Amino acid sequence: MAAAGAVAGSALPFDRWSRHGFISEANAQALPLEGKDGLTVLGDRPLTAETPPHLLDDEVTPVARHFIRNNGIAPADMAADTWTLTIDGLVDRPVTLGIEELRKRFEVVSHRLVIECGGNGRAGFEPPARGNQWTYGAVGCSEWTGVRLADVLEASGYKETAIYTAHEGADLHLSGTPGKLPISRGVPLQKAMDPYNLIAFEMNGGPLHPMNGAPLRLVIPGWPGSCSQKWLTRIWLRDVVHDGPKMTGSSYRVPPYPVAPGEFVPEEDMKIIHAMPVKSLITRPQTGLAIDSRELEVAGHAWAGDAEVDRVDVSTDYGATWQAAELGPPRNPHAWQRFSAKVRFRAPGYYQVWARATDSNGVSQPFTPPWNPKGYLNNSLHQISVRVD
Amino acid sequence: MVARILAWAVMPVIFAAAVLGLNARAESEPEIDPESDQEQALFRGMPDEDGRLEVFGFCGSCHSIDLVLQQGLPRAVWEQVLVEMVRDQEMAPLQPNLRVKVLDYLEEYYGPARKARTQ
Repeated sequence: MAAAGAVAGSALPFDRWSRHGFISEANAQALPLEGKDGLTVLGDRPLTAETPPHLLDDEVTPVARHFIRNNGIAPADMAADTWTLTIDGLVDRPVTLGIEELRKRFEVVSHRLVIECGGNGRAGFEPPARGNQWTYGAVGCSEWTGVRLADVLEASGYKETAIYTAHEGADLHLSGTPGKLPISRGVPLQKAMDPYNLIAFEMNGGPLHPMNGAPLRLVIPGWPGSCSQKWLTRIWLRDVVHDGPKMTGSSYRVPPYPVAPGEFVPEEDMKIIHAMPVKSLITRPQTGLAIDSRELEVAGHAWAGDAEVDRVDVSTDYGATWQAAELGPPRNPHAWQRFSAKVRFRAPGYYQVWARATDSNGVSQPFTPPWNPKGYLNNSLHQISVRVD
Repeated sequence: MVARILAWAVMPVIFAAAVLGLNARAESEPEIDPESDQEQALFRGMPDEDGRLEVFGFCGSCHSIDLVLQQGLPRAVWEQVLVEMVRDQEMAPLQPNLRVKVLDYLEEYYGPARKARTQ
Protein backbone atom coordinates (compact mmCIF):
# COMPACT_ATOMS: atom_id res chain seq x y z
CA MET A 1 0.00 0.00 0.00
CA ALA A 2 2.64 2.44 1.07
CA ALA A 3 4.62 1.58 -2.01
CA ALA A 4 1.76 2.54 -4.29
CA GLY A 5 0.83 5.70 -2.46
CA ALA A 6 2.47 9.07 -2.25
CA VAL A 7 1.60 12.13 -0.28
CA ALA A 8 -0.01 14.90 -2.25
CA GLY A 9 2.42 17.61 -3.13
CA SER A 10 5.43 15.29 -2.98
CA ALA A 11 7.22 13.77 -5.91
CA LEU A 12 4.44 11.73 -7.52
CA PRO A 13 5.39 12.13 -11.16
CA PHE A 14 2.34 13.74 -12.69
CA ASP A 15 4.50 14.50 -15.68
CA ARG A 16 5.39 10.85 -16.04
CA TRP A 17 4.00 10.68 -19.55
CA SER A 18 5.38 13.94 -20.77
CA ARG A 19 8.84 12.50 -21.14
CA HIS A 20 7.38 10.32 -23.88
CA GLY A 21 5.53 13.18 -25.45
CA PHE A 22 2.30 11.70 -24.12
CA ILE A 23 0.40 14.45 -22.38
CA SER A 24 -3.16 13.53 -21.53
CA GLU A 25 -5.92 15.99 -20.81
CA ALA A 26 -5.58 15.10 -17.14
CA ASN A 27 -1.96 16.14 -17.16
CA ALA A 28 -2.79 19.28 -19.04
CA GLN A 29 -4.86 20.45 -16.08
CA ALA A 30 -2.68 22.45 -13.77
CA LEU A 31 -2.11 20.87 -10.39
CA PRO A 32 -5.28 18.89 -9.76
CA LEU A 33 -4.30 18.56 -6.09
CA GLU A 34 -3.95 22.27 -5.51
CA GLY A 35 -6.06 23.11 -2.48
CA LYS A 36 -5.80 19.58 -1.09
CA ASP A 37 -3.67 18.85 1.93
CA GLY A 38 -2.25 15.62 3.33
CA LEU A 39 -4.11 13.21 1.05
CA THR A 40 -2.58 9.89 0.06
CA VAL A 41 -2.64 9.45 -3.70
CA LEU A 42 -3.53 5.94 -4.87
CA GLY A 43 -3.33 6.73 -8.57
CA ASP A 44 -3.01 9.76 -10.82
CA ARG A 45 -5.04 8.62 -13.84
CA PRO A 46 -7.82 8.52 -12.86
CA LEU A 47 -6.95 10.61 -9.84
CA THR A 48 -7.75 8.80 -6.60
CA ALA A 49 -6.68 10.11 -3.20
CA GLU A 50 -7.78 9.38 0.36
CA THR A 51 -7.38 11.11 3.70
CA PRO A 52 -5.56 9.55 6.66
CA PRO A 53 -8.03 9.08 9.57
CA HIS A 54 -6.37 11.59 11.91
CA LEU A 55 -6.80 14.30 9.26
CA LEU A 56 -10.56 13.68 9.22
CA ASP A 57 -11.06 14.90 12.79
CA ASP A 58 -13.02 18.04 11.85
CA GLU A 59 -16.79 17.96 12.36
CA VAL A 60 -17.12 19.38 8.87
CA THR A 61 -14.57 17.94 6.49
CA PRO A 62 -12.56 20.82 5.01
CA VAL A 63 -12.36 20.96 1.22
CA ALA A 64 -8.63 20.31 1.55
CA ARG A 65 -9.31 17.01 3.31
CA HIS A 66 -12.13 15.61 1.23
CA PHE A 67 -11.14 12.46 -0.68
CA ILE A 68 -11.07 12.27 -4.48
CA ARG A 69 -12.34 9.37 -6.53
CA ASN A 70 -12.36 10.09 -10.23
CA ASN A 71 -13.40 7.45 -12.74
CA GLY A 72 -12.38 9.27 -15.89
CA ILE A 73 -10.57 12.39 -16.96
CA ALA A 74 -11.94 15.53 -15.35
CA PRO A 75 -13.44 18.01 -17.84
CA ALA A 76 -11.18 20.83 -18.95
CA ASP A 77 -13.96 23.41 -18.75
CA MET A 78 -15.58 23.81 -15.33
CA ALA A 79 -16.94 27.32 -15.81
CA ALA A 80 -19.95 27.84 -13.55
CA ASP A 81 -21.60 30.61 -15.58
CA THR A 82 -22.00 28.52 -18.73
CA TRP A 83 -22.67 25.16 -17.04
CA THR A 84 -26.02 23.52 -17.74
CA LEU A 85 -27.98 20.63 -16.29
CA THR A 86 -30.58 18.81 -18.36
CA ILE A 87 -33.50 16.94 -16.80
CA ASP A 88 -35.20 14.64 -19.28
CA GLY A 89 -36.29 11.10 -19.95
CA LEU A 90 -39.67 10.16 -18.49
CA VAL A 91 -40.73 13.67 -17.51
CA ASP A 92 -43.54 15.91 -18.76
CA ARG A 93 -41.35 18.99 -18.87
CA PRO A 94 -37.77 18.31 -19.95
CA VAL A 95 -35.60 21.28 -19.10
CA THR A 96 -32.05 22.58 -19.32
CA LEU A 97 -31.01 24.96 -16.56
CA GLY A 98 -27.94 26.97 -15.66
CA ILE A 99 -26.68 27.13 -12.10
CA GLU A 100 -28.12 30.62 -11.56
CA GLU A 101 -31.52 29.40 -12.75
CA LEU A 102 -31.35 26.49 -10.32
CA ARG A 103 -30.67 28.99 -7.52
CA LYS A 104 -33.55 31.22 -8.56
CA ARG A 105 -36.18 28.57 -9.23
CA PHE A 106 -35.62 26.31 -6.24
CA GLU A 107 -35.03 26.67 -2.53
CA VAL A 108 -31.32 26.67 -1.72
CA VAL A 109 -30.42 24.56 1.31
CA SER A 110 -27.23 23.48 3.12
CA HIS A 111 -26.63 20.13 4.79
CA ARG A 112 -23.69 18.22 6.19
CA LEU A 113 -23.67 15.03 4.19
CA VAL A 114 -21.51 11.92 4.32
CA ILE A 115 -20.09 10.74 1.03
CA GLU A 116 -18.23 7.45 1.24
CA CYS A 117 -16.74 5.48 -1.63
CA GLY A 118 -18.35 2.05 -1.94
CA GLY A 119 -14.84 0.57 -1.98
CA ASN A 120 -13.57 2.37 1.12
CA GLY A 121 -11.67 -0.23 3.18
CA ARG A 122 -10.99 -2.51 0.22
CA ALA A 123 -7.34 -2.92 1.29
CA GLY A 124 -8.61 -4.81 4.34
CA PHE A 125 -9.90 -7.81 2.39
CA GLU A 126 -8.01 -11.08 2.37
CA PRO A 127 -7.48 -12.44 -0.22
CA PRO A 128 -7.14 -9.04 -1.93
CA ALA A 129 -10.15 -7.76 -3.83
CA ARG A 130 -10.07 -6.03 -7.20
CA GLY A 131 -9.80 -2.25 -7.46
CA ASN A 132 -8.29 0.79 -5.77
CA GLN A 133 -6.86 -0.28 -2.47
CA TRP A 134 -8.54 2.28 -0.23
CA THR A 135 -7.76 1.99 3.45
CA TYR A 136 -9.97 4.17 5.68
CA GLY A 137 -10.16 7.64 4.26
CA ALA A 138 -12.43 7.54 1.21
CA VAL A 139 -15.08 9.25 3.29
CA GLY A 140 -15.94 12.79 4.23
CA CYS A 141 -18.75 14.90 5.65
CA SER A 142 -18.62 18.40 4.22
CA GLU A 143 -21.36 20.99 4.20
CA TRP A 144 -22.98 20.99 0.79
CA THR A 145 -25.20 23.77 -0.54
CA GLY A 146 -27.54 23.33 -3.44
CA VAL A 147 -31.12 22.62 -4.42
CA ARG A 148 -33.03 19.48 -3.54
CA LEU A 149 -32.94 16.82 -6.20
CA ALA A 150 -36.52 16.00 -5.21
CA ASP A 151 -37.70 19.57 -5.90
CA VAL A 152 -36.13 19.56 -9.35
CA LEU A 153 -37.60 16.17 -10.22
CA GLU A 154 -41.05 17.23 -8.94
CA ALA A 155 -40.94 20.36 -11.09
CA SER A 156 -40.08 18.29 -14.13
CA GLY A 157 -43.31 16.33 -13.75
CA TYR A 158 -41.85 12.85 -13.81
CA LYS A 159 -44.15 10.19 -15.20
CA GLU A 160 -45.68 7.33 -13.24
CA THR A 161 -43.61 4.85 -15.20
CA ALA A 162 -40.31 6.34 -13.97
CA ILE A 163 -38.59 4.06 -11.47
CA TYR A 164 -34.90 4.95 -11.69
CA THR A 165 -32.63 7.95 -12.20
CA ALA A 166 -29.65 8.00 -14.54
CA HIS A 167 -26.84 10.49 -13.93
CA GLU A 168 -24.32 11.83 -16.42
CA GLY A 169 -21.28 14.05 -15.99
CA ALA A 170 -18.85 15.91 -18.21
CA ASP A 171 -15.80 13.79 -17.42
CA LEU A 172 -14.20 11.83 -20.25
CA HIS A 173 -13.53 8.13 -20.53
CA LEU A 174 -9.90 7.22 -19.81
CA SER A 175 -9.57 5.70 -23.28
CA GLY A 176 -10.42 9.08 -24.79
CA THR A 177 -13.27 7.51 -26.77
CA PRO A 178 -15.55 10.43 -27.73
CA GLY A 179 -19.00 10.20 -26.19
CA LYS A 180 -18.14 7.22 -23.99
CA LEU A 181 -19.14 7.89 -20.39
CA PRO A 182 -16.64 6.80 -17.74
CA ILE A 183 -19.42 6.32 -15.23
CA SER A 184 -23.16 6.86 -15.17
CA ARG A 185 -25.00 5.60 -12.16
CA GLY A 186 -28.49 6.09 -10.81
CA VAL A 187 -30.72 5.33 -7.86
CA PRO A 188 -34.30 4.07 -7.47
CA LEU A 189 -36.79 6.94 -7.67
CA GLN A 190 -37.76 6.35 -4.04
CA LYS A 191 -34.19 7.09 -2.91
CA ALA A 192 -33.92 10.00 -5.34
CA MET A 193 -36.86 11.68 -3.58
CA ASP A 194 -35.05 11.74 -0.20
CA PRO A 195 -35.13 15.47 0.66
CA TYR A 196 -31.46 15.40 1.68
CA ASN A 197 -30.19 14.64 -1.81
CA LEU A 198 -28.72 17.79 -3.29
CA ILE A 199 -27.76 19.14 -6.66
CA ALA A 200 -24.84 20.98 -5.09
CA PHE A 201 -22.90 24.04 -6.20
CA GLU A 202 -21.14 24.94 -2.97
CA MET A 203 -18.90 23.00 -0.61
CA ASN A 204 -18.34 24.49 2.86
CA GLY A 205 -19.67 27.83 1.65
CA GLY A 206 -17.31 28.15 -1.29
CA PRO A 207 -17.04 26.76 -4.79
CA LEU A 208 -16.66 23.01 -5.27
CA HIS A 209 -13.08 21.81 -5.60
CA PRO A 210 -12.37 20.92 -9.25
CA MET A 211 -11.62 17.32 -8.28
CA ASN A 212 -14.79 17.10 -6.20
CA GLY A 213 -17.00 17.87 -9.19
CA ALA A 214 -16.95 21.64 -9.80
CA PRO A 215 -19.09 23.46 -10.60
CA LEU A 216 -22.09 21.14 -10.09
CA ARG A 217 -22.55 17.68 -8.65
CA LEU A 218 -25.05 15.38 -7.06
CA VAL A 219 -24.78 14.50 -3.40
CA ILE A 220 -26.72 11.31 -2.62
CA PRO A 221 -25.67 10.69 0.98
CA GLY A 222 -25.66 7.25 2.55
CA TRP A 223 -25.22 5.36 -0.71
CA PRO A 224 -21.97 4.56 -2.54
CA GLY A 225 -20.25 7.80 -3.51
CA SER A 226 -20.49 6.84 -7.17
CA CYS A 227 -24.23 7.68 -7.03
CA SER A 228 -23.20 11.30 -6.39
CA GLN A 229 -22.25 12.12 -9.98
CA LYS A 230 -19.57 14.81 -10.32
CA TRP A 231 -19.45 17.46 -13.06
CA LEU A 232 -23.19 16.82 -13.37
CA THR A 233 -24.73 17.60 -16.77
CA ARG A 234 -27.81 15.42 -17.02
CA ILE A 235 -30.33 13.46 -15.01
CA TRP A 236 -32.78 11.37 -16.96
CA LEU A 237 -35.58 9.25 -15.63
CA ARG A 238 -36.06 5.69 -16.78
CA ASP A 239 -38.62 2.91 -16.50
CA VAL A 240 -35.89 0.30 -16.00
CA VAL A 241 -33.01 -0.07 -13.59
CA HIS A 242 -30.33 2.17 -15.11
CA ASP A 243 -27.72 0.21 -17.06
CA GLY A 244 -25.05 2.89 -17.60
CA PRO A 245 -21.33 2.28 -17.12
CA LYS A 246 -20.54 0.91 -13.64
CA MET A 247 -24.17 0.00 -12.98
CA THR A 248 -23.79 -3.46 -14.52
CA GLY A 249 -21.40 -6.40 -14.34
CA SER A 250 -19.77 -6.52 -10.93
CA SER A 251 -19.46 -2.75 -10.41
CA TYR A 252 -20.84 -1.52 -7.10
CA ARG A 253 -22.46 -4.90 -6.63
CA VAL A 254 -22.11 -7.61 -4.02
CA PRO A 255 -23.30 -11.22 -3.89
CA PRO A 256 -26.70 -11.52 -2.19
CA TYR A 257 -25.50 -14.59 -0.29
CA PRO A 258 -22.41 -15.10 1.90
CA VAL A 259 -19.37 -16.35 0.01
CA ALA A 260 -16.08 -17.85 1.12
CA PRO A 261 -13.05 -15.54 0.85
CA GLY A 262 -11.79 -15.77 -2.73
CA GLU A 263 -14.85 -17.61 -4.03
CA PHE A 264 -15.88 -17.04 -7.65
CA VAL A 265 -19.26 -15.36 -7.96
CA PRO A 266 -21.02 -15.23 -11.35
CA GLU A 267 -21.71 -11.68 -12.47
CA GLU A 268 -25.41 -12.40 -12.92
CA ASP A 269 -25.70 -13.12 -9.20
CA MET A 270 -24.29 -9.76 -8.10
CA LYS A 271 -26.79 -7.24 -6.71
CA ILE A 272 -26.59 -3.44 -6.74
CA ILE A 273 -25.47 -1.89 -3.45
CA HIS A 274 -28.03 0.41 -1.88
CA ALA A 275 -27.38 2.05 1.52
CA MET A 276 -23.87 1.86 2.97
CA PRO A 277 -23.51 -0.02 6.28
CA VAL A 278 -22.91 1.38 9.77
CA LYS A 279 -19.31 2.45 10.33
CA SER A 280 -17.06 4.50 12.58
CA LEU A 281 -13.61 6.01 12.39
CA ILE A 282 -11.29 6.99 15.23
CA THR A 283 -9.88 10.35 14.19
CA ARG A 284 -8.14 11.30 17.45
CA PRO A 285 -5.47 10.42 18.36
CA GLN A 286 -3.48 9.29 15.36
CA THR A 287 -2.60 5.61 15.46
CA GLY A 288 0.85 4.84 16.88
CA LEU A 289 0.71 7.43 19.66
CA ALA A 290 2.92 6.94 22.72
CA ILE A 291 1.69 8.43 26.00
CA ASP A 292 2.91 8.53 29.57
CA SER A 293 -0.56 8.79 31.06
CA ARG A 294 -2.96 5.97 31.92
CA GLU A 295 -5.86 7.94 30.51
CA LEU A 296 -6.64 8.89 26.95
CA GLU A 297 -9.45 10.74 25.21
CA VAL A 298 -10.37 9.09 21.93
CA ALA A 299 -12.81 10.57 19.46
CA GLY A 300 -14.13 10.12 15.99
CA HIS A 301 -17.19 9.96 13.78
CA ALA A 302 -19.86 7.36 13.13
CA TRP A 303 -22.41 7.12 10.33
CA ALA A 304 -24.89 4.58 9.06
CA GLY A 305 -26.06 4.88 5.45
CA ASP A 306 -29.76 5.77 5.50
CA ALA A 307 -30.06 5.07 9.24
CA GLU A 308 -28.71 6.85 12.31
CA VAL A 309 -26.09 5.70 14.76
CA ASP A 310 -27.58 4.69 18.13
CA ARG A 311 -24.40 3.97 20.06
CA VAL A 312 -20.66 3.65 19.83
CA ASP A 313 -18.62 1.41 22.12
CA VAL A 314 -14.88 1.33 22.56
CA SER A 315 -12.55 -1.42 23.74
CA THR A 316 -8.91 -1.42 24.80
CA ASP A 317 -8.63 -5.19 25.24
CA TYR A 318 -9.33 -6.63 21.80
CA GLY A 319 -13.06 -6.63 22.31
CA ALA A 320 -13.09 -8.60 25.56
CA THR A 321 -14.81 -5.69 27.32
CA TRP A 322 -16.51 -2.59 25.94
CA GLN A 323 -17.46 0.81 27.30
CA ALA A 324 -20.06 3.15 25.87
CA ALA A 325 -18.75 6.30 24.21
CA GLU A 326 -20.53 9.62 24.33
CA LEU A 327 -22.36 10.06 21.06
CA GLY A 328 -23.76 13.27 19.67
CA PRO A 329 -26.77 13.59 17.39
CA PRO A 330 -26.28 14.18 13.67
CA ARG A 331 -26.45 17.87 12.74
CA ASN A 332 -29.00 16.81 10.13
CA PRO A 333 -30.01 13.41 8.76
CA HIS A 334 -27.10 11.87 6.80
CA ALA A 335 -24.45 13.84 8.71
CA TRP A 336 -21.90 11.86 10.65
CA GLN A 337 -22.07 11.83 14.44
CA ARG A 338 -19.25 12.70 16.81
CA PHE A 339 -18.27 10.20 19.48
CA SER A 340 -15.73 10.47 22.26
CA ALA A 341 -14.64 8.35 25.21
CA LYS A 342 -12.10 8.55 27.98
CA VAL A 343 -10.35 5.20 28.19
CA ARG A 344 -8.09 3.96 31.00
CA PHE A 345 -5.14 1.63 30.58
CA ARG A 346 -4.47 -0.74 33.49
CA ALA A 347 -0.69 -0.96 33.02
CA PRO A 348 2.08 0.22 30.71
CA GLY A 349 2.25 -1.65 27.43
CA TYR A 350 0.85 -1.91 23.93
CA TYR A 351 -2.84 -1.41 23.35
CA GLN A 352 -5.28 -1.30 20.52
CA VAL A 353 -8.29 0.93 20.83
CA TRP A 354 -11.26 -0.32 18.88
CA ALA A 355 -14.50 1.51 18.09
CA ARG A 356 -17.75 -0.19 17.19
CA ALA A 357 -20.89 1.65 16.10
CA THR A 358 -24.43 0.29 16.23
CA ASP A 359 -27.18 1.76 14.05
CA SER A 360 -30.83 2.45 14.75
CA ASN A 361 -31.73 -0.98 13.38
CA GLY A 362 -29.55 -2.65 16.01
CA VAL A 363 -26.89 -3.59 13.45
CA SER A 364 -23.24 -3.27 14.57
CA GLN A 365 -19.94 -3.18 12.75
CA PRO A 366 -18.40 -6.63 12.31
CA PHE A 367 -14.88 -7.55 13.41
CA THR A 368 -14.10 -9.03 9.99
CA PRO A 369 -15.67 -7.73 6.78
CA PRO A 370 -17.68 -10.20 4.75
CA TRP A 371 -15.52 -10.93 1.71
CA ASN A 372 -16.91 -10.10 -1.72
CA PRO A 373 -15.21 -10.19 -5.13
CA LYS A 374 -14.92 -6.43 -5.63
CA GLY A 375 -14.15 -5.57 -2.04
CA TYR A 376 -17.06 -3.29 -1.24
CA LEU A 377 -18.65 -2.35 2.08
CA ASN A 378 -15.77 -3.05 4.45
CA ASN A 379 -17.27 -1.60 7.61
CA SER A 380 -15.22 -3.68 10.02
CA LEU A 381 -14.37 -1.86 13.22
CA HIS A 382 -11.54 0.63 13.17
CA GLN A 383 -8.51 0.09 15.38
CA ILE A 384 -5.67 2.34 16.44
CA SER A 385 -2.59 1.39 18.43
CA VAL A 386 -1.35 3.20 21.53
CA ARG A 387 1.79 2.62 23.57
CA VAL A 388 1.51 3.44 27.26
CA ASP A 389 4.84 4.09 29.01
CA MET B 1 -10.71 4.80 -29.57
CA VAL B 2 -8.34 7.72 -29.30
CA ALA B 3 -6.46 6.04 -26.50
CA ARG B 4 -6.39 2.79 -28.42
CA ILE B 5 -4.76 4.54 -31.33
CA LEU B 6 -2.52 6.50 -29.01
CA ALA B 7 -1.59 3.34 -27.17
CA TRP B 8 -0.52 1.64 -30.36
CA ALA B 9 1.27 4.75 -31.53
CA VAL B 10 2.98 5.33 -28.23
CA MET B 11 3.88 1.77 -27.34
CA PRO B 12 6.80 1.52 -29.78
CA VAL B 13 8.01 4.89 -28.55
CA ILE B 14 7.90 3.72 -24.97
CA PHE B 15 9.62 0.49 -25.84
CA ALA B 16 12.24 2.23 -27.91
CA ALA B 17 12.83 4.98 -25.36
CA ALA B 18 13.14 2.51 -22.53
CA VAL B 19 15.31 0.01 -24.41
CA LEU B 20 17.50 2.55 -26.19
CA GLY B 21 17.73 4.64 -23.06
CA LEU B 22 18.99 1.66 -21.11
CA ASN B 23 21.43 0.64 -23.84
CA ALA B 24 22.73 4.14 -24.28
CA ARG B 25 23.35 4.46 -20.57
CA ALA B 26 24.95 1.06 -20.43
CA GLU B 27 27.38 1.90 -23.23
CA SER B 28 28.35 5.42 -22.37
CA GLU B 29 28.19 5.18 -18.61
CA PRO B 30 28.79 1.56 -17.70
CA GLU B 31 29.20 2.41 -14.04
CA ILE B 32 25.58 3.49 -13.72
CA ASP B 33 23.20 0.91 -12.29
CA PRO B 34 20.56 0.21 -14.94
CA GLU B 35 18.01 0.20 -12.12
CA SER B 36 18.59 3.91 -11.73
CA ASP B 37 16.30 6.08 -9.70
CA GLN B 38 14.90 7.48 -12.90
CA GLU B 39 14.04 4.09 -14.27
CA GLN B 40 12.64 2.98 -10.95
CA ALA B 41 10.44 6.04 -10.93
CA LEU B 42 9.34 5.44 -14.52
CA PHE B 43 8.39 1.84 -13.86
CA ARG B 44 7.14 2.53 -10.34
CA GLY B 45 9.48 -0.10 -8.94
CA MET B 46 8.23 -2.94 -11.14
CA PRO B 47 10.71 -5.85 -11.13
CA ASP B 48 12.87 -5.69 -14.26
CA GLU B 49 11.88 -9.07 -15.62
CA ASP B 50 10.37 -10.47 -18.79
CA GLY B 51 6.94 -8.94 -19.32
CA ARG B 52 7.53 -5.67 -17.50
CA LEU B 53 7.35 -3.48 -20.61
CA GLU B 54 4.23 -5.24 -21.84
CA VAL B 55 2.41 -4.85 -18.51
CA PHE B 56 3.55 -1.25 -18.17
CA GLY B 57 2.56 -0.39 -21.72
CA PHE B 58 -0.69 -2.26 -22.15
CA CYS B 59 -2.06 -1.78 -18.63
CA GLY B 60 -0.75 1.74 -18.16
CA SER B 61 -1.77 3.34 -21.44
CA CYS B 62 -5.27 4.37 -20.33
CA HIS B 63 -5.00 4.35 -16.55
CA SER B 64 -2.22 4.83 -14.03
CA ILE B 65 -0.03 1.75 -13.67
CA ASP B 66 -0.37 2.32 -9.92
CA LEU B 67 -3.89 0.95 -10.14
CA VAL B 68 -2.38 -2.38 -11.21
CA LEU B 69 0.56 -2.37 -8.85
CA GLN B 70 -1.44 -1.72 -5.69
CA GLN B 71 -3.52 -4.85 -6.24
CA GLY B 72 -2.43 -8.42 -5.65
CA LEU B 73 -4.70 -10.83 -7.46
CA PRO B 74 -4.66 -14.51 -8.41
CA ARG B 75 -4.08 -15.26 -12.11
CA ALA B 76 -7.72 -16.20 -12.68
CA VAL B 77 -8.84 -12.79 -11.44
CA TRP B 78 -6.21 -10.96 -13.53
CA GLU B 79 -7.58 -12.89 -16.52
CA GLN B 80 -11.08 -11.69 -15.67
CA VAL B 81 -9.76 -8.12 -15.37
CA LEU B 82 -8.36 -8.36 -18.91
CA VAL B 83 -11.67 -9.73 -20.22
CA GLU B 84 -13.54 -6.80 -18.66
CA MET B 85 -11.00 -4.23 -19.87
CA VAL B 86 -11.69 -5.40 -23.43
CA ARG B 87 -15.45 -5.78 -22.93
CA ASP B 88 -16.10 -2.54 -21.01
CA GLN B 89 -13.12 -0.22 -21.22
CA GLU B 90 -12.04 -0.07 -24.88
CA MET B 91 -8.86 -2.10 -24.44
CA ALA B 92 -7.66 -3.75 -27.65
CA PRO B 93 -7.56 -7.55 -27.22
CA LEU B 94 -4.02 -8.81 -26.66
CA GLN B 95 -2.41 -11.30 -29.02
CA PRO B 96 -2.35 -14.72 -27.31
CA ASN B 97 1.43 -14.65 -26.74
CA LEU B 98 1.29 -11.14 -25.27
CA ARG B 99 -1.66 -12.09 -23.12
CA VAL B 100 0.27 -15.00 -21.65
CA LYS B 101 3.30 -12.80 -21.08
CA VAL B 102 1.25 -10.15 -19.29
CA LEU B 103 -0.55 -12.73 -17.15
CA ASP B 104 2.69 -14.54 -16.32
CA TYR B 105 4.24 -11.30 -15.10
CA LEU B 106 1.20 -10.27 -13.08
CA GLU B 107 0.90 -13.71 -11.54
CA GLU B 108 4.59 -13.81 -10.63
CA TYR B 109 5.01 -10.31 -9.22
CA TYR B 110 1.52 -9.01 -8.49
CA GLY B 111 -0.25 -12.04 -7.09
CA PRO B 112 -1.74 -12.22 -3.59
CA ALA B 113 1.68 -12.83 -2.04
CA ARG B 114 2.98 -9.55 -3.43
CA LYS B 115 0.07 -7.73 -1.86
CA ALA B 116 0.84 -9.35 1.44
CA ARG B 117 4.46 -8.19 1.28
CA THR B 118 3.81 -4.60 0.32
CA GLN B 119 1.08 -3.82 2.85
